[in-house]
Amino acid sequence: MAYSPYWNPKNETMARDDLHALQLYKLRRMVAWAYANSPFHRAHFDAAGLTPEYIQTLDDLRRIPFMTREEWMASIADQPLFGDLPATAPANAIRYHLTSGTSGRTPIRVLDSTKDWDWIAEMWCYGLWGFGIRPQDSVYFAFGYGSFIGFWGAHYACEKMGALVIPGGAQTTEARVKQIVELGVTTVASTPTYALRLWQQATEMGINLATESKVDKLILSGEPAGSIPAVKRQLEEAWGAKAGDTAGMTELGTIMIFECARQPGGTHIIEDHYIEEVVDPATGEPVPYGTLGERVVTSFGRGFIPVLRYRTKDMVVKVPHTNCDCGRTGDLYDGGIRGRWDDMKLIRGTNVYPRAVEAIVREHDAIDEFQIYIWRRDDIRDEITIKLELKPGREAEWPALEAGLARELADAHEGLRFLIERMEPGTLPRFELKAKRLEDARPTAVYS
Amino acid sequence: MTQTDILGRPLNKDEQDLLAAYNALKDLATRADLAPCAARNVRRALAAMWQATNDLDLQFEQLYELGV
Repeated sequence: MAYSPYWNPKNETMARDDLHALQLYKLRRMVAWAYANSPFHRAHFDAAGLTPEYIQTLDDLRRIPFMTREEWMASIADQPLFGDLPATAPANAIRYHLTSGTSGRTPIRVLDSTKDWDWIAEMWCYGLWGFGIRPQDSVYFAFGYGSFIGFWGAHYACEKMGALVIPGGAQTTEARVKQIVELGVTTVASTPTYALRLWQQATEMGINLATESKVDKLILSGEPAGSIPAVKRQLEEAWGAKAGDTAGMTELGTIMIFECARQPGGTHIIEDHYIEEVVDPATGEPVPYGTLGERVVTSFGRGFIPVLRYRTKDMVVKVPHTNCDCGRTGDLYDGGIRGRWDDMKLIRGTNVYPRAVEAIVREHDAIDEFQIYIWRRDDIRDEITIKLELKPGREAEWPALEAGLARELADAHEGLRFLIERMEPGTLPRFELKAKRLEDARPTAVYS
Repeated sequence: MTQTDILGRPLNKDEQDLLAAYNALKDLATRADLAPCAARNVRRALAAMWQATNDLDLQFEQLYELGV
């Protein structure tokens, strides 16, 4: 059977002018809904002297004040459990989820109605279908199915698309590898980190996933690494499969960008369901195509918890849709999500972003696992050490790798010296969901 | 019956049928006399039809007053 390459051909290939007209229509409706029903948004609008009638054009979007995670958390703290953001009664909800909490902050709790929960799956359908998942696929979710929203939406999207869903659930990595091979799985959904971990485990079990499994697609989410070329290349070689990046956030409930089957080196924005702005993080002013900035998202999905002009702190570079020849008219984020502004570490006056370090480290195929360790020498001098483990059988490469990696990292960071430390195999932590490969051990000042 | 989508473009036959099915489910969801097996499955079906009709720009509305 011949399928359309698009989940929604009408809108995914829509002329940009029509797309903007659609966005304006939805924006005006969503703003009116939020103003009438969400105390949080009404207060926000009132404080800015704004009413929904002011939104007449897409440019008027910029009159709406930014919404921040800090405000959302404060609202939850003031009015537990969900704050004053919900626009309808909690009794209308059928799902409860919360953010992963990997940043150590208070998690954000969210509720979804039947319609909103189905919309969450719908957004995943855009991405999964766009990357090539079809009803004949068997999709394995290497995911723990807890309260963190993770791949829940993708699971239901695959059911909706008619694919066979295999929930990995709470199992050992070894048991998951066995299932993937024995059940003839064609697609694995996981974080980039865990896809590498599955491959490492398979290798220890004497299984070559590229030749002994039927997996031909990897769906990656949860970490920026899914769009790091070296990580993608390693995964594609290890699995003998195409790796497609997606990105979402609990605040939206689902994904907002995905990599299509053409793999253009970026991720398409689902622009009939979102408006994605890119702004200068310092001034809040929009930046042009091709300029690094901060994502600001407005969602037309969840009406339960309206999200208008939400500052995500994600670093992105938007480029026109013409950078991809798949026929979609949704613009792209070149290189996907490039990290977070608040991930930046200052080491002796030099900015260090974990994703940039990972992009360099992963160029060295002999490295099995790594950790970025920041510490203070003699209570004075900040240091950064890359701790790493080598893959079995690659030990002879260590001297050249140590010198080369240190040089490459320094060259990319204004000459900053990186210390390289080799660790015994199995000593660095492994991760299933979002990897936390940065440890900042510098003392924190306490003021009494 | 609406003859255009939310951007004012004429509906084709498929879109007319989809919108009619969506509106029929909305009508069913307003009834208070349906058995639980019908009432709840109507809401599930309505949530699904909301996606199709919203994706195709046939409507953009909220359904919380119907418990969806």
